[in-house]
Amino acid sequence: MAMYKIFYTKRFPMSFREKTSWAMALILIAAAAFYLNLVISASRALGQTAPPFIGFVIAYIVVIVIASTVIMVALALSSPREADAPADEREKIIADKAGNWSGYVMAVPALGALWHYAVNGDGNMLFHLVFLSLMLGQIAEYAFQIVLYRRGV
Amino acid sequence: MAKPPPITNRIRELREQHGAMSQSALAEAIGVTRQTVIAIELGKYSPSLESAFRIARVFGLGLEDVFGWEADPH
Repeated sequence: MAMYKIFYTKRFPMSFREKTSWAMALILIAAAAFYLNLVISASRALGQTAPPFIGFVIAYIVVIVIASTVIMVALALSSPREADAPADEREKIIADKAGNWSGYVMAVPALGALWHYAVNGDGNMLFHLVFLSLMLGQIAEYAFQIVLYRRGV
Repeated sequence: MAKPPPITNRIRELREQHGAMSQSALAEAIGVTRQTVIAIELGKYSPSLESAFRIARVFGLGLEDVFGWEADPH
């Protein structure tokens, strides 16, 4: 199957859960890009790894919860029956596989962060890398879901 | 890309024979989403045994009248 067919939705329309996966993936990518940019620019300005942005982490969690709630409500209003229905057998398999695979995506950079800390002893970098690993794992989970919805289980 | 499962089906043909039953109607009858019915018809997803039985019962047929096994030539 050609790659473009993954995004060809006329013959294979998106379900409610696939739409939420797209929305969440885009929100998380934007948040991760913002965080990465913040850390890099602050570290350049300081001449060393910037300390943890605890305020940002709290704001990040709040914004993600609010944004995801707003988007879920908007999508649910556009297709209330689908939103009310529980996940079916295919959707459960997709969620399970994506969750399983994304665990590896999260673990690899997290282990890299631990290795970096063991070698360099940079606790600030450890914080940023672990936080980015968590974000990467979540993004990967939604990305895998989208691929499995499009490509087939 | 994922290799399509070797399970074939006649769901689209049977829907048309049953008064042009919509994918949504079949989905509701067997308790899955319309996208899952589409995925089964396109060979992107092999249904569970329970769903396969439910689909066959909707059409009043046996399992092997709806689903087939396409053996790997190799």
